[in-house]
Amino acid sequence: MAADANATGVDERRSSARQTQSDDVDAAESADDRLLEVENLRTVFHTERETIRAVDGVSFGIEEGETLGLVGESGSGKSVTARSIMGLVDDPGELLPGSSVRFDGRELTDLTEKGYESVRGSGIAMVFQDPLSTLNPVYTVGNQIEEALSLHRGLSGIDATEKAIELLEDVGIPDAARRVSEYPHEFSGGMRQRAVIAMALACDPDVLVCDEPTTALDVTIQAQILELLSDLQAEHGLSILFITHDMGVIAEVADRVAVMYAGEIVEQAPVVELYENPRHPYTRGLLRSIPSTQQGAERLETIAGEVPTPNKAATDCRFAPRCPEAFDACEEVHPVPVPVEEGAEDHTAACLLYPEDEPRKAAVDRHAAAGDEDSPESAGSTGGDSR
Amino acid sequence: MSRWSYFARRVLLMIPIVFFGTTITFLVLRMGPMDPAAAVIAGAGDTEAYESVRQSLGLDQPLWLQYVEYLRDLFTLQLGYSWVVNRGRPVWELIGVYAPRTIWLGFWAVMLPLFIGLPLGFYAGLNPNTLSDYLASFGGIVWRAMPNFWLAVILVSVLTQSDQLFGFDWESWLVQTQIVTPPELQRLWVPSNFLAAFKAILPAALVLGSASMGNEMRIGRTAVLETVNENYVETARAKGVPRRTIISKHVFRNALIPLVPIITGEAFLLLGGSVLVETVFSINGLGYLFYSATINADLPLVGSLMFFFILLSVGINILQDLLYTLIDPRVGYGGEGA
Repeated sequence: MAADANATGVDERRSSARQTQSDDVDAAESADDRLLEVENLRTVFHTERETIRAVDGVSFGIEEGETLGLVGESGSGKSVTARSIMGLVDDPGELLPGSSVRFDGRELTDLTEKGYESVRGSGIAMVFQDPLSTLNPVYTVGNQIEEALSLHRGLSGIDATEKAIELLEDVGIPDAARRVSEYPHEFSGGMRQRAVIAMALACDPDVLVCDEPTTALDVTIQAQILELLSDLQAEHGLSILFITHDMGVIAEVADRVAVMYAGEIVEQAPVVELYENPRHPYTRGLLRSIPSTQQGAERLETIAGEVPTPNKAATDCRFAPRCPEAFDACEEVHPVPVPVEEGAEDHTAACLLYPEDEPRKAAVDRHAAAGDEDSPESAGSTGGDSR
Repeated sequence: MSRWSYFARRVLLMIPIVFFGTTITFLVLRMGPMDPAAAVIAGAGDTEAYESVRQSLGLDQPLWLQYVEYLRDLFTLQLGYSWVVNRGRPVWELIGVYAPRTIWLGFWAVMLPLFIGLPLGFYAGLNPNTLSDYLASFGGIVWRAMPNFWLAVILVSVLTQSDQLFGFDWESWLVQTQIVTPPELQRLWVPSNFLAAFKAILPAALVLGSASMGNEMRIGRTAVLETVNENYVETARAKGVPRRTIISKHVFRNALIPLVPIITGEAFLLLGGSVLVETVFSINGLGYLFYSATINADLPLVGSLMFFFILLSVGINILQDLLYTLIDPRVGYGGEGA
């Protein structure tokens, strides 16, 4: 019963969201034919005491051949977003109704586990953070690559081994013919990550989800892996969702950047635009906290406080308690992503300060209006846990 | 291949261990209060007879000479004759009569937990916090908690009165067997003989393996629970491997690694534990033979049986190393070895 109410409420919300942004109908339409389209993704985890809204209404899209950087502090929901796309969210976690992940025009959230198995690996593949633990220690590297090849391409025996050697060569592993029959513990960290990438590419996926793929590696190895990824992207026309907490890495790999905070995307912009002209106070704080060689011995700035754990539907701005520019309305109105100014459709921020060229009162009303249409839904979907 | 040279080194290391074990056995036997000559003349109190028995058994020789002969005899498998328990009978013949019963009992006491406890544990680990998990886990604790000697006595009394208690006669069920008697182990390849021998040993094997069964169930459950959450399992899912394959290929083999020492370690315990169970079920196996040889100071028999047990322990150790080497390619990779 409650679930029904949810579903209809969410539908209303989604259509109303469309109406409020009726001025960018064109953008919405072009969004529909993007390769990977995530819309209003809400992933929650039920614990005994509360429901954690790890990802709370995230929307973004990735075009063919594009790299979207997803950046944020630890605990902001980046990895959960990746796992939600891959269908790897298990009990006690679930995607709330109304969440949508479309890949190549196909809705993935409706798929059963069986149906998802055919998408994983061949359509969307994933590279994980820690190459030490992502390879199974008791099977050879070749065996684990061949496993993917036999699942999605029906290759086996010598054909599969030859293809595995070819893939290892592609990712720059020397002496691949010998290496293919070695075990993960005989590989160095960087080599392992190359092997993991070879495994991900085994079935020629269209989208590669990289969850902090360089975080566990040395800086020099990091640069090599980033270079390898961009070479492979050019070669295979891959779309990449690149998740990291490292603003420096993002600047290097991404075409567009989405900044995540407490389960929401607070700012989204092309990479150069974001670095040159950050709008959301959180993004500004993040950029100021990057160590720089030019600033000399100045003390590095930090953002005071911690990322809150979102456990109820937002009725205010989740960043407000840490925000240097917060004003009264920030505690009462939940901001929605809006273009930062007239005509800047590809640069959005979820902050009451925007659109910048509108009077403050009008801008706040615009966020509040979107939020009000939201409220029946948010009351419904949170059920018992919203105060 | 470094893992196989590691294995070969482990096997070579066993030679000094056997040597050391037999030496300790000799020292313990000779320095303890055992006096075989006194046992042979059975308290007749005749000093002359006592001395002549000592002489005929070679106990008047210098200790070092006895030690050299003892070692030579063991390593050339000249086990000699029983002095007291079954006077004049070759030790080999005694072992030939008593050992098969213990081996049969030990074999099933290892196999039953392995094929009941372990699958139950794996099943519980794959379905944590469900009703079947709770049932299996609770059962594991109960099996683990029941002491051998108590369970043996209870089982014997329940089975002998099964007709009165449940209206079901265990002794005549399927094949006629007796509960408290050594199993018949002739011509086991004939199905009906095999069935009878299996049924005869089943209660004793269940009792002897009960603790192992509970242990393996609980540890198997934990191992699976831990392995399922490993990153490589998620990687396998992310590349589209079906759940069934993930469990059979990626989870089970890794979950077995911590179980190898548990299983082989329990095989050791069975050696010592079998004396009690053999006594209650009157199985008259090696445990019983060893016990009577020891209290009767039958030196050749005790020494030979100890040698036999040492070889068995070393064999189980080698088996454990072999299993490790087969399951885990990282074995011996540290260079120095553990």
